[in-house]
Amino acid sequence: MSVLSQVNIIQVNSLSKVVSTLEGELPILSDISFNVKQGESVAVVGTSGSGKSTLLSLLAGLDVASHGEIILDGQPLHALDEEARAALRAKSVGFVFQSFMLVQSLTALENVMLPAELAGKDDAKKQALELLDKVGLSHRIDHYPSQLSGGEQQRVAIARAFVGTPSILFADEPSANLDSKNGKMVESLLFDLNKQHGTTLVLVTHDEALAQKCQHILQIEAGKLVKNARGESEDVG
Amino acid sequence: MWAKLALKLFAREFRRGELTVISAAIALAVLTVLTLSMVTERISQSIEQKSSTFIAADRVLSSNHKIDPAFIEYAQQQNLQTANMLYFDTMLFANDEMQFSSVKAASNAYPLKGNLKVKSSLDGTLETLSHGPGIGKVWLSESVFYSLNINVGDSVELGAALFEVEKVVVEEPDAPFNIFSSSRRVLINIADVPKTEVIQPGSRVFYRQLFAGEPQDIERFYEWLKPQMKENQKWYGVKDRQSPISNSLNRAESFLLLAGLLGIILAAVAIAVSAKRYCERQYDPVAMMKTLGGSRALIRKIYLAHLLLVCLLAISVGLAIGYVLQEIATYYLAKSMATALPMGGIKPWFVSISTGLICAVMFSIKPLLDLFDIPPLRVLRRNLGDTLAVSRIHLALSAATVFLLMWLFSNNLKLSVMLFASTLALIVVLFVVSKLLFGGSRKLGLKPGNSWSLAIASIQKRANVNAVQLVSFSLAIKLLLFLIVLKNDMIADWQSQLPSDAPNAFLVNITENELSPINAYLAEKNIQVSDFYPTIRGRVNAINGELVARSVSLEDNEEKDEDARQGLGRELNLTWRSELPSQNELTQGDWFANDAVAEASLEESMLERLDVELGDTLTFLIGAQSFDAKITSVRKVNWTSLKPNFYIILSPDVLKNYPATYISSVRIEAQQKKDFSQLLRTYPTVTAIDVDNFVKQIQSTIEQVSLAIGFVLAIVVMCGALVLISQVQASLGERMQEIVILRTLGAKGSLIKNAILYEFLILGGFAGFVAALFSDVTLLIVQQQTFDLAGKLHPEIWFIGPVVGGVFVATLGYFMIARTLKQNTQGLVRALA
Repeated sequence: MSVLSQVNIIQVNSLSKVVSTLEGELPILSDISFNVKQGESVAVVGTSGSGKSTLLSLLAGLDVASHGEIILDGQPLHALDEEARAALRAKSVGFVFQSFMLVQSLTALENVMLPAELAGKDDAKKQALELLDKVGLSHRIDHYPSQLSGGEQQRVAIARAFVGTPSILFADEPSANLDSKNGKMVESLLFDLNKQHGTTLVLVTHDEALAQKCQHILQIEAGKLVKNARGESEDVG
Repeated sequence: MWAKLALKLFAREFRRGELTVISAAIALAVLTVLTLSMVTERISQSIEQKSSTFIAADRVLSSNHKIDPAFIEYAQQQNLQTANMLYFDTMLFANDEMQFSSVKAASNAYPLKGNLKVKSSLDGTLETLSHGPGIGKVWLSESVFYSLNINVGDSVELGAALFEVEKVVVEEPDAPFNIFSSSRRVLINIADVPKTEVIQPGSRVFYRQLFAGEPQDIERFYEWLKPQMKENQKWYGVKDRQSPISNSLNRAESFLLLAGLLGIILAAVAIAVSAKRYCERQYDPVAMMKTLGGSRALIRKIYLAHLLLVCLLAISVGLAIGYVLQEIATYYLAKSMATALPMGGIKPWFVSISTGLICAVMFSIKPLLDLFDIPPLRVLRRNLGDTLAVSRIHLALSAATVFLLMWLFSNNLKLSVMLFASTLALIVVLFVVSKLLFGGSRKLGLKPGNSWSLAIASIQKRANVNAVQLVSFSLAIKLLLFLIVLKNDMIADWQSQLPSDAPNAFLVNITENELSPINAYLAEKNIQVSDFYPTIRGRVNAINGELVARSVSLEDNEEKDEDARQGLGRELNLTWRSELPSQNELTQGDWFANDAVAEASLEESMLERLDVELGDTLTFLIGAQSFDAKITSVRKVNWTSLKPNFYIILSPDVLKNYPATYISSVRIEAQQKKDFSQLLRTYPTVTAIDVDNFVKQIQSTIEQVSLAIGFVLAIVVMCGALVLISQVQASLGERMQEIVILRTLGAKGSLIKNAILYEFLILGGFAGFVAALFSDVTLLIVQQQTFDLAGKLHPEIWFIGPVVGGVFVATLGYFMIARTLKQNTQGLVRALA
C-alpha cells in the first residue's frame, strides 16, 4: 500500500445524532467511530431506517451531529459553520444521489460544470467534456435532464461528481432508481472513475452485491455500527 | 463568475416558462398603473380643460365687493391670464318698453375659456366668438328682443348710457345653470359701466375675477391669495360647482382610481402566488448547489440577480405595453371627444415603476429568504423545507404592502381602508369557511370510482392549499364583479339623470292666466312638458316663533353652490304641491295628507342649515304677509336632474291665495324650435332657458368617461385572469403527481379530466358565490360613501357570480391540465423527477 493510502481521510469519533420528537428525544445514530483511508472504497449497509443515510449526511457535512467528531480531509467538520462546510464540500467532496438531483434548467454539460462554476473556476469545460466522454455521453452534452433516460441522468451525475477531482465521493443508493442493466453500468463507471482518480468512495446501499465490491463494509443496525463482514476490520473502526 | 452563472440560470428558467407568470404579473401591475394613471390624468386634464369652459376660466374668484387690484397684478406676475366681470340688475329701456334685466359687464379678455355663441339677427346663423361686446355695444338674449320689441341695430338705454344692439346672445360659456336666475341677459363691455352711472354706493353688484393658466401657477397664486381672501369672497373651479358635470367627473375619477386600486391588488396577488411558486420550485436546485459547495452568499447573489433581472425585464415590458395601450386608448378617446388630449406628466411613470419594484421586492422577499434557508440536506430528505402553511410573516408583509400601494396610488386613506378592510374580511371568512367546508364534506360519502367523488376527495385532501386557492379565486372574482356592477350602476345612474328625452329648456315666469293657453299650445304642438310648479319668493323669518336675524335681503341669482344659500332670511323660491315630486325621496316624516294644513317639507341640507328638525314650526314672510307651517317631512333631492327642484315645498292650503308664477321644463325637438319661438313671442313675459347645449355636453362627457371606464375594466379583467392562471399553475405540480399515480393505476383519461373539471367547477362556483356576496356588500358601502349613489343590492350577481366563477375557473384549469394529460405516463414521471 502506498503512503498515501495510509492517511485517514475520514475520521469519525463517538458520533451520535439525536432528534427531538413529540415523544421525546430519539437517537438515530449512537457512538459511531471509524476511519477511512485515502483511496479506499467503503460501503455503508443496513436496513431501511437503520441510520445509514443520516451517517452519510453527517459525513458530508449536510447535517450536524449531536455529539462526536468528524475529521474530513484534515478539517474538523464538527467545528465548522455551514459556510465553511460548503467550502469544504466544494474543495473535497463529490456526490451521486439516488434521484440524480440534476438542475433541470441546465444541459448535461452545464450540470457537470456546475460544481466548478460554484467554486469560481472558469476552466471546467474541458474537464467536463472529458468526463462526459468517459461516461459515454459526449453526444448528449446539450440535452436537458428531461430529455435523458434515468441511466443517462445518473451518468451525468457521476461525471458531475468527479469534475472537481474531489478526494472523497459520497454515493447514496446510486443504482436504486435504475434497471439492472443501467444500474450495472453506473456502478462500474463509479468504481472505474474512483480507481482512475484515486478518490475515496463512501457508498450507501442496501444492495449486498454492490457492497461486496467495496474494500470495506460498515454495517449499521438501529443506529449502531456493526463491524464489517469482509475482515480487515482493523482498518475500519 | 457568479454573474455568468446567474445569467445562464435566469435565461434557462425564463425559457422554461418558470418566470413567465411572475414577470407577466409584475408587467401587468406596471402597465395597469401606468395606463390608468396616464389615461386618467390625460382625460381628466382634458375634461377639466373642456369643462373649464363651464366657468369660462380655470378658476373664479367671486366677491360682493370690488376685487383688490393687487390680486390681479400678482396673478399676472404668476403668468395667469385674467378677466374681470361684474353683474348687476337694472332696467333696460327701448322705445316705450322697459325690461328688468341682469347685466353682465365683461372685460376684453372674457371669456378666458370657451366661446360665446351669438347671432347677428334673430333669424341669423350661429356664430362662435371668443370675445364679448366692444365699447358702446350691447348683446341681448332672445327674450329681451321680444319683450322690448326691438331688433339688431336698434338702441337701448341702460342707466345714463345709450347702447347699440349688436348681437343676439345664444350661449355664454359660463351661463349659470339655475332656472331661477334671469335669462334676460344683457352683455356689455366693462369699460362702459361708469357711463351708465347705474352703480352707486350701496348698489348690489357682484364681482367676478376669472383666472386661467398652468395648474402649478394657479396653485401658487391661490396659496398666496388664500390668507387674504375676505369672508364674502369665494374661490372655485369647475369641480367645486354643484352641477351634474362635476358630479360625473368626480365619480368617474373615483371609479378609475378604484379600478386602479383593484388592478394593483389583483396583480399583487398574482405576483405573490407566482413568486412563492417560483421559489418553491428552486428548492431542489438550491439544495443541490449548496451540497456541491455553493455558499449562501453566492446563492443569494444568484437569486437576487434573478429578481433584479425579472424586475428590469417586466417593468420595461410593462412600461412599453402600458405606454402603447394608453396611446391607443387616448387616440380613440381623443377622436370621440374631438379634442387633443394633453400629454401626461412624469408622475404616472414614477408611480408605475415604484409599484412594479415594490410589488416585486415585497412579495418575493419572504419566499426568497425561505429559499436561501433551504438546507442542503434536502438532497437526501426530499421534503425538507416544504411548508404547507403560508408563512404569517409573508402574509402580514404582503398585506401591508398591498395597503401601502393602495394608499400611494389613491392618496385616499378612507377608500383604501374601506377596500382593504372588506378584502381582508373576505379572506378571513373564506379561509375559516373553506376549512370547515372541506373538512365537513368528508361525510358526504360518495361512491368511489366516479369523477365527482374523486373531485371531492381531491378538494378534501388539499384543504389548506384549496383554502388559499379559494381565497384568491374569490378575491379575483369579487373585485371583478365589484367593478362591473359599479360601472353599470354608475352609468345607469347617469343615464337615468339624463335620458335621451331629458328636458332641454325651462319655462319660467308663467302667470296663472297664461297657464292653460300655454298648456294647450304645447299639447297642440306636441311638445313634451313636465309638471307646472307654482313659485312664490319668500323667506323664513322665525323658527318656533323666535325671530331670526336677517342678514341678506336678496337672493344672489348667480350663486349656485349650496353654501351660498346658507343665509337665513334669504329669499327662497317656495312652491306647493299635493304629490311628492318624482325626483325627490322622502327620508323623514310623511308626505302631506289630502287634508294637510300648514305643513312644510324641507330638503335635507336645508334642515341642517336652518338647524331645525321634524315638528318645528317655521314662519314665512311673503311681502308683508306672514304665515306658519310645521315641518312634517324631509326630502332628499336629486339636484342633478333637469327638473324644477325646491328646498321648501308647502302643503297646497297655505299658499293658494298668494299670486304665483309657474315654472316647468319642456323637451324641444329640433323641428319644434320654430313653434317654441312663436310661444315666446306670444307670451313675452315668459322666459325660456335653453339647456340643450348643456345637456348635450354632459351626455358627451358621460359617453367619453364610460368609454374610458370600459377600457380600464378590460385591463383589470386581465389582472383577474392572471391571478387565476397563477393560482392554477401553482397547484399544477401537485396535481401532476396525482395524475401520474391515477394514470399508473389505470385510470381513464376522461375520469381524471372530469375529476379535475369538477374540482375546479366546485372551487370556482363556491368562490364565485362568496365573492358575489362580499362584492355586493362592499359595493353598497362604497357606493354610499364614495360615489354618493343610492346603494342597492344586486341579487342577480349572486347567481351570475357562481356560474361565471365556476365556468371560468374550470375552463382555465381544464385547459392547463389537459396539456399535462396529453403526455404519456412515462413522460409525466420524468417531468416530475
